Amino acid sequence: MSTQTATANRPKQDLTPDEKLEKLKEIYADAPELGKAALKNGLAMLMQELSATGRAQTAGRIGLRQGKVSELCVFLPFVEGGARRLRGLLQLLQGNFRAADAVGTVHDMRFVFVENDTKLLFATAYDGDFDPYIEDFAAKIPNAMDLWLCNFEGYPGMRNPKAAADWIASHQIAAEAWYVNSPNLTAAETRRLEKVGKAVDGLLDQIG
Amino acid sequence: MTSVQESVAGEPSATAATLDLKEIQATVLRPRPAPYFGTHVLLRVDTAEGGREFLRRLTPHIASAANWWNAAHTWLAVGISYRGLEALGLAPESLQSFPEAFRVGMAARAKQLGDVGVNDPAGWEMPYVTGQVHIAVQAISDSEEKHRRALAVAREQYDSFSGVTVLAMQDFGAQPGDLNSLGYKDGIDQPPIEGSGVDPLPGQGRPIKAGEFILGYPGESGSPLPMPAPDILGRNGTFVGFRKYQSRVAAFNRFLRDNGSTEQEREFLAAKLVGRWRSGAPLTLAPETDNPALGADPNRNNDFNYANDPHGRQVPFGAHIRRMNPRDTTLTRLTDVNIHRLIRRGATYGRPYDPAALAEEYDDVPHGAIFLFISAKAMATIEFLQQEWIDDGNFVGVGDERDPIIGRQEDGATFTIPKEPVRRRIHGIQTFNVMRGGEYFFLPSISALKWLANLK
Repeated sequence: MSTQTATANRPKQDLTPDEKLEKLKEIYADAPELGKAALKNGLAMLMQELSATGRAQTAGRIGLRQGKVSELCVFLPFVEGGARRLRGLLQLLQGNFRAADAVGTVHDMRFVFVENDTKLLFATAYDGDFDPYIEDFAAKIPNAMDLWLCNFEGYPGMRNPKAAADWIASHQIAAEAWYVNSPNLTAAETRRLEKVGKAVDGLLDQIG
Repeated sequence: MTSVQESVAGEPSATAATLDLKEIQATVLRPRPAPYFGTHVLLRVDTAEGGREFLRRLTPHIASAANWWNAAHTWLAVGISYRGLEALGLAPESLQSFPEAFRVGMAARAKQLGDVGVNDPAGWEMPYVTGQVHIAVQAISDSEEKHRRALAVAREQYDSFSGVTVLAMQDFGAQPGDLNSLGYKDGIDQPPIEGSGVDPLPGQGRPIKAGEFILGYPGESGSPLPMPAPDILGRNGTFVGFRKYQSRVAAFNRFLRDNGSTEQEREFLAAKLVGRWRSGAPLTLAPETDNPALGADPNRNNDFNYANDPHGRQVPFGAHIRRMNPRDTTLTRLTDVNIHRLIRRGATYGRPYDPAALAEEYDDVPHGAIFLFISAKAMATIEFLQQEWIDDGNFVGVGDERDPIIGRQEDGATFTIPKEPVRRRIHGIQTFNVMRGGEYFFLPSISALKWLANLK
């Protein structure tokens, strides 16, 4: 709920850069001296940012997107023993996630155990929306999904894809801000360009 | 002439049908006749009692799918929109049991469907944007005479009383040769349905679980898809997405001329856009020149996969048929191709395709295609296809490129044709089919129609 309130209080986006700066100064009126000085001394770059067109878009039901890349961040409550099992699983996988490779749209994933191992903060960057593909996950990688998500309260199982999608969305927290360095590069496109780059280098090696 | 039946039906299977064919509307399983003559009648229900009376009178004339593989080639079908179900007086708990996209209707899902810009519902024809299209009746036949008789039967059921009002009548049919509005033979590739009583044609792949297409049967996941309540209403019914497009034939012809200096080059480009020659012959089996005999043979014209074409040098990754059914193409995203299929009942309206038409004014007179997409989750599947396979190209590694035939193109759109030593990239591709209207309809079973007609 707190995220929604924060969003509702967001300043209107049609302010001029100068109006935005005034607003920012107001917001920072009670900041520590260090912050006030930073505002003053960092004005040049800040004005560039305040003058630029907004890049943030919304992704799917909840969450933000820049270009083709969306963010998903969930805060999931462990069931009894869930943290122990998931930690064990993740340690044995040693960073190998074949299902994520197969999904093809996942840029990164991080699994952070918080609040004394009672909750997991899971954050990922991925292309597009996940809702349209939830049934594909259910058809193609139900076991990989169930294996880690079974450790959380209320997870309905991938055999019930619609409910699983609803469950994920219900635990999702929208990021307040989202930055992507190459917002137009999907994970697939990145892999393709990697190959193209190598091929071009190979060609140049032959010529040179 | 004995029926051509060249479109899609396979041979009756040695194993008996397990679907309740006498309950399922014929149009779900019967392929479009060839040749075909048809009309869609769009009606508004003025009073609940009047609408139910109309259904009571009409239902005995609605064909079921019993013996669909050798049944007559003339039939009536009926679909009801969400607003139609409301107008008929369906109980609120039953109305709420329908999927959300169906409840709000196709125009309200414009964002999810990518129906924006030239395809925005604000520019649709009457009556699609009014929310008043409650019932759609389809009359179709393989002869003009029989079509007229079928239509007359439908008319008798609504002409004599005031319960329903005809909002629009749209004739369709394509003669000669059953070519679509851009001059291609179409409707060739259909999903094979398990238990329908017919073996798949060569190349159709393994039969797909019936529950993907008809409510009340197990789907690909093993369990039935969510079904509207009560059971009598949902079971053996399905959904249809009705999308009417106006074709920009002259623009299409000009595009071919701009990018091909000879007839041969133009036809080759036309084949690359679709993945089939105009005859229906697939490029995988006829990569260099057309083979009309192959195109006309239902046992051969769909009998291929892309195992020998991993780089898209025969059928470009962005070609229409490779998008609509990628078969064994390696996709960049985890996808189960079998859960994104639709039964397609496309039909052409307006003048036959004229390859010589080039003038801007030529497209002022409407001609185009009416697509009926049938599935137990038609709304979700159409949205998926529109977002992922039609108005995007990332799933097959062609970036932002869109379906060259039914995609909505942005300025500067391209179409890439892989070839050795370097690919050819075509510029100046435009929106060749513009949305003119659409709606989602529920296709109730025969028992459900009777049940609706007798609602209190």
